[in-house]
Amino acid sequence: MRTDEDRVWVGTNQGLALLENGKWKVYTEADGLAHRSVLALDVSPITGDLWVATMSGLNRFSAGKFTTYTQFNSGLANDVIYSVICDGKDVWVATGGGAGMLDTYTGKWAIYTEQNAPMHEPWTYSICAGGGNIYIAAWGGGVIEWNKAKKEFRDYIDPDGEMEIDLFPDDGVVHDITTAVTYDDDILWVATYFGLSRYDGKRWKGYFDHDSGLASNFINYIKANGEVAWMCTDNGLSSFNGETWITYKNLGTDQSGQVIVNGKSPKENILKASSSLSHNFTIGVDFKDNDIWVATSHGLSHGVVVGQTEVKTSKL
Amino acid sequence: MNKKLIYGLFFLAFALAVGFSAFRKWAVNHATYMTGGVPHPINCAPCHIYPERDGILANILNEDYLSPLNAVCSSDGSALYVIAQDADMLLIVDPAQDKVETQIAVGRRPHSVVVSKDGKSAYVSNQWDNNLYVIDLASNTVSDTILTGAGPAGMGLSVNGQLLYIANTYTNNISVVDLASNTEIKRLYGGNYPTGVAVSPLDNQVFVSSQRTLPVPFRTEPITEVTVLNGKNQRVEERLNFRSAHIMENIAVSPDGDMAITTLIRPKNLVPSAQIERGWMINHGIGIVTKEGKKAQLLLDEPNAFYADPYDVVIHPNGKYAYVSHAGADMISAIDLDVVRNIVSQSSQHELENLANYLGMSDQIVLKRIKTGANPRGLALSPDGKTLYAVEQMTDHITMIDTEKLEVVKTIDLGGPSRTTVTRKGGQLFRNAGHTFHQQYSCYTCHPDGHEDGLTYDLTGSGRDLANVQTLRDLNGTAPFKWNGKNVSVYMQCGMRFSKFVTRTESFSPGDLNSLVAYIMRELTHPPNIHALPGGELTEAQKRGKAIFERTITVDGREIPEKDQCITCHNGPSYSNFQMADVGSLKDTDNPTLFDSPNLNNVYESAPYLHDGSAATLEEIWTVFNPNDTHGYANDMTKDQLNDLVEYLKSLKGAEYTSDQLNYEVNKSQL
Repeated sequence: MRTDEDRVWVGTNQGLALLENGKWKVYTEADGLAHRSVLALDVSPITGDLWVATMSGLNRFSAGKFTTYTQFNSGLANDVIYSVICDGKDVWVATGGGAGMLDTYTGKWAIYTEQNAPMHEPWTYSICAGGGNIYIAAWGGGVIEWNKAKKEFRDYIDPDGEMEIDLFPDDGVVHDITTAVTYDDDILWVATYFGLSRYDGKRWKGYFDHDSGLASNFINYIKANGEVAWMCTDNGLSSFNGETWITYKNLGTDQSGQVIVNGKSPKENILKASSSLSHNFTIGVDFKDNDIWVATSHGLSHGVVVGQTEVKTSKL
Repeated sequence: MNKKLIYGLFFLAFALAVGFSAFRKWAVNHATYMTGGVPHPINCAPCHIYPERDGILANILNEDYLSPLNAVCSSDGSALYVIAQDADMLLIVDPAQDKVETQIAVGRRPHSVVVSKDGKSAYVSNQWDNNLYVIDLASNTVSDTILTGAGPAGMGLSVNGQLLYIANTYTNNISVVDLASNTEIKRLYGGNYPTGVAVSPLDNQVFVSSQRTLPVPFRTEPITEVTVLNGKNQRVEERLNFRSAHIMENIAVSPDGDMAITTLIRPKNLVPSAQIERGWMINHGIGIVTKEGKKAQLLLDEPNAFYADPYDVVIHPNGKYAYVSHAGADMISAIDLDVVRNIVSQSSQHELENLANYLGMSDQIVLKRIKTGANPRGLALSPDGKTLYAVEQMTDHITMIDTEKLEVVKTIDLGGPSRTTVTRKGGQLFRNAGHTFHQQYSCYTCHPDGHEDGLTYDLTGSGRDLANVQTLRDLNGTAPFKWNGKNVSVYMQCGMRFSKFVTRTESFSPGDLNSLVAYIMRELTHPPNIHALPGGELTEAQKRGKAIFERTITVDGREIPEKDQCITCHNGPSYSNFQMADVGSLKDTDNPTLFDSPNLNNVYESAPYLHDGSAATLEEIWTVFNPNDTHGYANDMTKDQLNDLVEYLKSLKGAEYTSDQLNYEVNKSQL
C-alpha cells in the first residue's frame, strides 16, 4: 500500500483500493487494471502518477485512466511484478523475469537478469533507490546494487555460503534469498525469510528473532522512514532504529494488542494496547506525517504516532 | 546525287523510324504498365526527373519555399512572428507595411512560436531537433537552446510567464520548462502525438490536444486524448477521451476560461469507405470541453459540402467568436460561440453525443466561411481581435481578415518563390480536398505530415481486406505499393482506381497526377530517427539487436532456414527485398494474398503494425502474432533478446540520414 498526499492506495487480491475522504473506491480489470491481484504500488513524485504492479502486468494510473504495460506489448521483462518504485523519471520493477527499468522520458526499457547482472537467477522480489544506487532483492542472489553514475552492478551475498544457517554473523547479508530492500538515512535494510540485515556502507549487521526484538525471521516487507526501519513479518510488525526494537501484535482474541519493547533482551517490556493490527501477518507499510498504514492478510490498519516509540493503532 | 548516299540516307531514316516506333511502343507499354492501364501521355520527367532530390536538374526544377505554418501577433499588434517551416526560419513581419522585416535562422522543421510576456524573447519549437530556440528580440539572435522531448510542437505560456508547456509529438509527452533557468523541469505523459497547447487565462488548467488515437482494441473506434494539466502543480489532472475523433491539431481556451475548443476529425474507419457518398467517410469539426466538464463534438461540415482538415482555432478576445482554419478547403469558418454555449448548456451529455454526427450543426453555429489561398494553417489574432491572420502554407502568403466584416482585407506576400513548380503544385493537390466527393477529405487527411494516421480502413467496402494506412515518407525506390503489392507505382496508387473506389470522383488529370506523384516521391521525408545515433553508431542494446536481426542460427545453435531469417526479407537500404511473402498474418477477413515486405526505416513511427493494424506494438508482432515462427524465427528468444531486437529495429533509418550530426548530443544523452 502507498500513501499519496491525503489518499491511501491499497493493493489487494481483488483489485486496487483507494481510501479518500473516508470513502473507499475499488478499481478492477473492468476499469483497466491489468490484473485483480495488486502486488505493489508507488507514486511518482514528479508526475503524481500511480504505478501499479500486478500479477499480470504493470499499470500507470494517471488522472483516472489506466495504461497497461505487459511483456507482450512492451519491453517489460515479465508480467508477474513483485515490486515497483519511481526513481526520478525512471520506473523500476522487480519481476519474475528479471528487474526492469522504464525511462518515462524516452519510453525505453532495460532488463537486468542473470545474463547481464550478478544475479543467481532472474527472479527478483523488491527494489529500492537510495545513495545514488538502485538495490534489487534477488532470489538466491542477495542484494544487487546498480550504481547509477557508473552504470555498474555489484552484488552483496552471504559470504558463508550456507543456506540453512547464518554461519558467520555480520559477514554480509544474512541470507541470499532476499525478500525486500529499503534505504533511508544512509542505511540499507535487507529483509529475508531468515532474518534482517542492516548495512551502513561499511559494516553489515544481522538481526534474528531469537536474539533481537524482531517479531519473526519471516519478513515479507520492509520500509525505512528516516532512521527507523519497519519490518512486516508473519508474526507482527516490528520497528527498529538501530537501538530500540518495538513490535506490534494482535492478540487474536479481541481488538486489543501488544506492544513489545526490546523483546528478547533484559530490557524487554510488554505493554497492552487497546487497539492493534488487524492481523499479525503483515505485508506492507507506509507513512504520511504521523500516520502509519499497515497492510495485513486480514485488512488494512491505521496507526498514529504519538511519541517517539509509541503508536496508537486502529483497524479499518 | 550519289545513289549509294541516297539509299544510305533512306535506310538510316527507315532504321530510325523503326527504332523510334519500337521505342515508342515500349514507352507506351511501360507507361501503361506503370500507370495501371490508364491512358497517359508519354512523359519521362514525372517518374525519372521530378522525384530527384539532388542534382542540377533537381535544382533547376524546384524551388525553396517558405511554407509558413504557425504565427503569433506581438502584444501591441505591430509585428507578426511567423514560422517558415520549410525554410527553417522565423520571420518577423510588419503587417501594416506588408513587409518581412527580419529572417532569423532557427532549427530544423520549426513548428510553433510564442513570445514572452515582456515581449523581449520568442521561443521557437524545432520539431526535428528536439529543442527550443530562445530568440532575443532586441538583437534578433538565438540566445539559448532548451532541450525537450522529441518532436516539440505546440507551446503554451503560463499566465505569469514563468513556465512554458511544450507538446512533444514524437515521444508522446509534455515538457514543462522553467523560463528563469531555461531548463526542462519535468516531462508528463500526454496523449498519442500531442501537438496543440492552450493555457487557461485563469492559469489553473493547461490543455494539450493530440493527433492520433490512443491504442484501442482491434477494430474499435479511435479515442483521442485531450490532456488537462493542473497549472498549479504541473500534474495531469484529467485525461479527456474524445471518442471517434482524432487529428486534434490545435486547441484554444476562451478568455474567461469557460470552454476549451479543439479542432478534430471524425473518421468513420469502421464502416466501408464507400459510404463517402452518404457523408459518412470523414467529418470535420471542433471538440469542446466546458468548465462544468461537458464534452461535445460539433461538425463544421454541411450535408453536401465538407470543410476538410481543420487545423487551427483561435478565440476572439471578447469570447464571442472562434475562427477555424480548414487547411484542406482553403477556408476559414467564423463560429458564433454564444450559440455553441447555448447548444452545449441546453443539451444533456447523451444528446451531445448524438449531435456529434449532425451535419446540420454548422448551419447554426457558423457565421460565415471566408475563402483564403492554398492551405491555410496557423491563425493569429491581433490583440484587439479586429484582425485575423491566416497563414497559407502552400502559397507563402498570409491572408489578413477583418473580423467585424468577416472579409479579406489583403494578402501579405512573405517573399517566397513566385514560380509554382510541379512539386509545389503537387503539394497543393495533396493538401486539398477538392478531388474527393463533396470535398470530404484530402490525401493529407489520412496521411498527416505525409505519414499515416494510425487507423485501419475498410477501403473495399466488403468488410474484407482491411488496410492499415501506410506512410508516404521516403517512398522513392520502394515499389511495389499497397500491402498486397499490386500497385507497381504511386501513379497507379493515386490514379483511376483510387478515385473510383475511394474518392468517388473523376481521377486526377495526367498533369495533376504528375505533380502529385512528384510531390509524394520528392518532398515527403521521415524526420530524423529519434532512436538512432549518427554515423551508424549503435547503442549496446542495438548492437545486440543487430546480431539477432542478422543471425542465421537459433539460440541453441541450430541453423535457421533462410526464409525464416529477418535479413532475407528485410535487407537493403530500406530493409525490404520488395518481394511478396506469407508471414502467417492473413486473417479470416482477408482474401488469400501474399504481402509486400514493408520498409523498416523509421518503423517506430508507424504503430499499429501488420497489414490490418492488429499488432499494437512492435513487440506484439512476435509475442502475439507469430506463434509458429512464420514471421521470422523468434520464439527461441528471451524477453531481453526481443527487447534488443526491437531497439535495433527502432534505430533503422535511411542511408541519407546516417551522416546526420545535429541530433547527436540530444540522442546520445537519452539513449
